[in-house]
Amino acid sequence: MTQRPLELILARNLMSALSTPAFLVDEGGLLVFYNEAAGMLLGKRFEELGTVGPQEWGSLFGPFDENGEPIPYDELPLVTAVRGGRPAHAELTVRSTDGTHHEVEVSAFPIQTPHGSQGAIAVFWPTANGNGAEPA
Amino acid sequence: MKVKLWGTRGSIPAPGPETIRYGGNTSCVGVTLSDGSMLALDAGTGIRCLGLALPDEPARLHILLTHLHLDHIQGLVFFAPAFRPQTEIVIWGPASPEASLRDRIARYISAPLSPVEVRELPCDVSFRHCPESEWEIGSARIRAASVTHRGPTLGYRIDDGDSSLAYIPDHEPALGADLAQMDEDWISGFALARDASLLIHDGQYTDAEYPCHVGWGHSATSHALSFARRTGAERTLLFHHDPLHSDDQLDELGAAAQQQWVELGGDPGTLELAVERSEVELPARAAKAAAAV
Repeated sequence: MTQRPLELILARNLMSALSTPAFLVDEGGLLVFYNEAAGMLLGKRFEELGTVGPQEWGSLFGPFDENGEPIPYDELPLVTAVRGGRPAHAELTVRSTDGTHHEVEVSAFPIQTPHGSQGAIAVFWPTANGNGAEPA
Repeated sequence: MKVKLWGTRGSIPAPGPETIRYGGNTSCVGVTLSDGSMLALDAGTGIRCLGLALPDEPARLHILLTHLHLDHIQGLVFFAPAFRPQTEIVIWGPASPEASLRDRIARYISAPLSPVEVRELPCDVSFRHCPESEWEIGSARIRAASVTHRGPTLGYRIDDGDSSLAYIPDHEPALGADLAQMDEDWISGFALARDASLLIHDGQYTDAEYPCHVGWGHSATSHALSFARRTGAERTLLFHHDPLHSDDQLDELGAAAQQQWVELGGDPGTLELAVERSEVELPARAAKAAAAV
């Protein structure tokens, strides 16, 4: 068993109490948690999905840009936050498991500690109900 | 490894006839390692008596601070070895992005709060941030990890031979978390306490008191017990008693804790409330095996 850094534990505990969809990745970009609100948005609870590797989670739910084009993994706000160590913001479309598309605003920020970066958090804010951009 | 509790109280000293059995001094635990090396875990007011009990001979002492709240450092300027030029004291503690450990402690050991300044202490004192990785002091391997409390706060694990002590005096692992359901790696402090020979853990509040103190950084009885059961510690001492708890109230808390402990499947002999000046000797494996025979 590898103990999670306290900062990730606290982030997860906070996110669990939020009604805003939120995602948590560790320092290696592994998706280690998302909360119930995010599960509702995506149509799948985290407990059903489990941890997901860096390249996988980017493609699981889209995301797409305003033209319906898939957004490259390296350009996702959460990736910018965890790799670049700086906050990032974007508007994008995610696809839930039932095929519904949701337009969201995403803000991601790194979790910096005295021992360096421990991961990043992304908060999703739905901007419209119903369908977003369809894949090109 | 020998463990002696010099201060078991949390928050503020609570001397008086109503606290005479469990003690009124704030957090300090003396640890004598198998090679004779001496550690003090925290420097609450209990460290004053620890200092008086140490010999005058030249010595090297290590003080491991969990954090810098006053009840964990208040005894530093009354620690007799700090006023002996022949003594070397190494103070370990949590790093902070704000200032060095020395500078943060100096805020207390300086005017107008203190009659002496750090630079005036006659002993040879040095300050070290605890590393992320394990390190050695004497015959022990020491591990420090951040735990859930207010401000930068560490818990410690001390492995000496086959015995291990986990010291997490200020800890609220159940804040926003269900300890019964959470995976082990997501529980604050779990790796420090896992299968420890002795766990000294925060047990400041009763379950009835806790709802008024959520987020204050301390545990309710049931949280401490759940944490102890999940980690598999062989023996647990509930520590950091609330200053408002008299001996009689702690007796009641202890009885209720025992009942909960048994309901959780714990052995009644493995859970106690920490008592000031009490001692615990943690045997090495050979002695454990002999005892089992």
